[in-house]
Amino acid sequence: MAVFSSSSSSSSSSSSSSSSTSNLLLLLLVSSLDWLSTRGSVFVMDHMTSSAPVGPHFTECISREQETFRCWWSPGGFHNLSFPGALRVFYLKKDSPNSEWKECPEYSHLKRECFFDVNHTSVWIPYCMQLRGQNNVTYLDEDYCFTVENIVRPDPPVSLNWTLLNISPSGLSYDVMVNWEPPPSADVGAGWMRIEYEIQYTERNTTNWEALEMQPHTQQTIYGLQIGKEYEVHIRCRMQAFVKFGEFSDSVFIQVTEIPSQDSNFPFKLALIFGVLGILILILLIGISQQPRLMMILLPPVPAPKIKGIDPELLKKGKLDELNFILSGGGMGGLSTYAPDFYQDEPWVEFIEVDAEDADAAEKEENQGSDTQRLLDPPQPVSHHMNTGCANAVSFPDDDSGRASCYDPDLHDQDTLMLMATLLPGQPEDGEDSFDVVERAPVIERSERPLVQTQTGGPQTWLNTDFYAQVSNVMPSGGVVLSPGQQLRFQESTSAAEDEAQKKGKGSEDSEEKTQKELQFQLLVVDPEGSGYTTESNARQISTPPNTPMPGSGYQTIHPQPVETKPAATAENNQSPYILPDSPQSQFFAPVADYTVVQEVDSQHSLLLNPPPRQSPPPCLPHHPTKALAAMPVGYVTPDLLGNLSP
Amino acid sequence: MPGSIRPVSVVWVVLVCLLFCSRLLSVGAAPICTNAQAGCHALSLANLFDRVIQHSARMHGISNDLHSEFEQYFLPSKNQIGRVSRNCHTSTIFTPNGKENAQRMARQELTEVILKLLVAWRDPLWHFHQSIAHHHDFNNFSANKALEMSDMVHELRKGVEKVAEKMQMMGIISNSVSSLASPEALLPSDSAEWRLMKDYDLLYCFRRDSNKVQNYLKILKCRIVPEHGC
Repeated sequence: MAVFSSSSSSSSSSSSSSSSTSNLLLLLLVSSLDWLSTRGSVFVMDHMTSSAPVGPHFTECISREQETFRCWWSPGGFHNLSFPGALRVFYLKKDSPNSEWKECPEYSHLKRECFFDVNHTSVWIPYCMQLRGQNNVTYLDEDYCFTVENIVRPDPPVSLNWTLLNISPSGLSYDVMVNWEPPPSADVGAGWMRIEYEIQYTERNTTNWEALEMQPHTQQTIYGLQIGKEYEVHIRCRMQAFVKFGEFSDSVFIQVTEIPSQDSNFPFKLALIFGVLGILILILLIGISQQPRLMMILLPPVPAPKIKGIDPELLKKGKLDELNFILSGGGMGGLSTYAPDFYQDEPWVEFIEVDAEDADAAEKEENQGSDTQRLLDPPQPVSHHMNTGCANAVSFPDDDSGRASCYDPDLHDQDTLMLMATLLPGQPEDGEDSFDVVERAPVIERSERPLVQTQTGGPQTWLNTDFYAQVSNVMPSGGVVLSPGQQLRFQESTSAAEDEAQKKGKGSEDSEEKTQKELQFQLLVVDPEGSGYTTESNARQISTPPNTPMPGSGYQTIHPQPVETKPAATAENNQSPYILPDSPQSQFFAPVADYTVVQEVDSQHSLLLNPPPRQSPPPCLPHHPTKALAAMPVGYVTPDLLGNLSP
Repeated sequence: MPGSIRPVSVVWVVLVCLLFCSRLLSVGAAPICTNAQAGCHALSLANLFDRVIQHSARMHGISNDLHSEFEQYFLPSKNQIGRVSRNCHTSTIFTPNGKENAQRMARQELTEVILKLLVAWRDPLWHFHQSIAHHHDFNNFSANKALEMSDMVHELRKGVEKVAEKMQMMGIISNSVSSLASPEALLPSDSAEWRLMKDYDLLYCFRRDSNKVQNYLKILKCRIVPEHGC
């Protein structure tokens, strides 16, 4: 009918009007006839069925493999013809113009079937079938004619099975590959039949069959099946380019339940749970035990700024001003050794001590400049730091870091410092600085106030001093007499006399005259350890006027001047005597050798030293008592010569 | 200067042409490759057969479609086939009517039968198409199919001839096939018989013959080169 409508539309679009109208009328007539004929045939059939019983007829003729075919008939309403043999089948094979009707070669009366074997089957040749009664009465108006290739209905395929192709990542659907074998009766191998297949599937217990596209291969993929549901699949086939399908095969059921891949995930989950539990238990144990060592291993301290003596709160952000204030020495002096310990509970905290001295000390440090100065400087009176001259000091724990500019901390001892200072035949400073210091020396009885401070005024003088001084004599009081440097003796000779006078005048214990300028020696008394070799009695003896010869002693000890005894006395009182590195006034000192040999130790525990050899020309020797020294071996001073030494 | 350039350019062009032409000639110098030749890119027999079989299957499909259209169009009845009283014009060609007969037939004869059939339908189909195209009863779709069908017959015949040539080269069939040389000899004497046939009968006959051709080709292929698709 579609052909008609389309053709009519095409015809209507033609240009000629009269021809178009006639054609249209013709078409309408033809279509009406067609419709009527169809209706009529149906009507006739209905009439036949309704009015009279249906006569014997062929139900169907089918060929399975295009080599044989069968025909079935039915008696219809004529029950008297239902007995076997009442109806006979005759066929006409139109392979030649003069063909004739033949009877069915093989009957099967039980099934009312006529079977045509291979010998009686010819393809592409029309067959016409007839049903005849006993008396050669044909019961059909029209013959039932066909050609064999048009009645082929292949057998259903065999060996239908399926395999799982894949499962979607969501785990909800899957694909299945279905494969089968062609029907064994159909000779596909020889190429005699070309078959195409059609698969249909549906959910079980439903009749909503879904058909896939027809294709000639013996396998096909079904996509999008859902997990958990059961599917029913069957297949049928037909000849290519023909219409009639064969029977459906037996159904095959497909069902895929849960994915079996859970097994791979299961140990993973278990391992994860166990791991988490183990970590939790570990954390609990650590938290409960609170072992400091363990804590240190597991949770090592985070290096943060920790300055000893400074509240860690100040080290936090935003408190720079306070920190600067403390570091600059404000208030109590923030970084003293007596600073509160802020990190008591953190025994592993290491401090790098910043040597944040006071401003004065800092200035002094700057003034002193080189290490030499610092080495030779006495400890500062203003500040009582231990770290004099030491840029950095490392407290506990004591490792050697940061002490490159520092000397041995053992020398922090004030006494040692003083010892070193007194050993040097340095000169007293210009002016009265030394005097002041000397004065202060007896007044201040603090062991930490050495006479070394006389040198504080003039560091420059130290540059001219020798590092090494010769011990001239050791006093009974325990002091060591050093011979000053030869260079400086002449320089200081005049000033030394003045000093001598001043010292005499300022002396509180003695009333010595200042006129004594005959200063033989400037005795330097050093008591390094505070434990002198002499007793107090000896010290007093020393304090006697020098002209007074020593009682009961042919020796004349070289004792310091009364002035000097003062410091000696004071020194005696004090633990550490003061050092007066003075240069001898007289040139008698010139010939004093740097090294003197200790000749004897008298009963007063004083060392008798040999006078140094005289450097004056030998002719002068007889004048001076010292000349006698020349005769003596160098470096030895006999007791009788000692008297000669004194003027 | 141009006078000296001109002969040079001519010589140059000639040289180039010789080069290219030699190449082309070398390509066309070997139309058919035998198995003994190496480096030949000719198609294998199985491949040729596959192509031909596909072609015949398509041809048969079109003929089937047209026939079913005609059945709907021209007053279809249940036993339409009974009304076909006259035979097709190709009935005189002896064709095997069964599988065994076809398998028993010699390859050479079978090939001849195929060729005969194809040759016999060349003219009738052309005229059929002409009648349909000019007939306003049919839509363009049917006319196009008829045209395609006639072209296919033509192409299929050429293909089968090529297959026959290859088979002859390979020694599968003898060289004494006269039909290949003169296809016109295959035509039956009463070649005008088909002009009396109606269109529907032509279609019916052609549908049957196209099925025959398809079958015979398949049988031939599965007998000679049964590797793939048998």
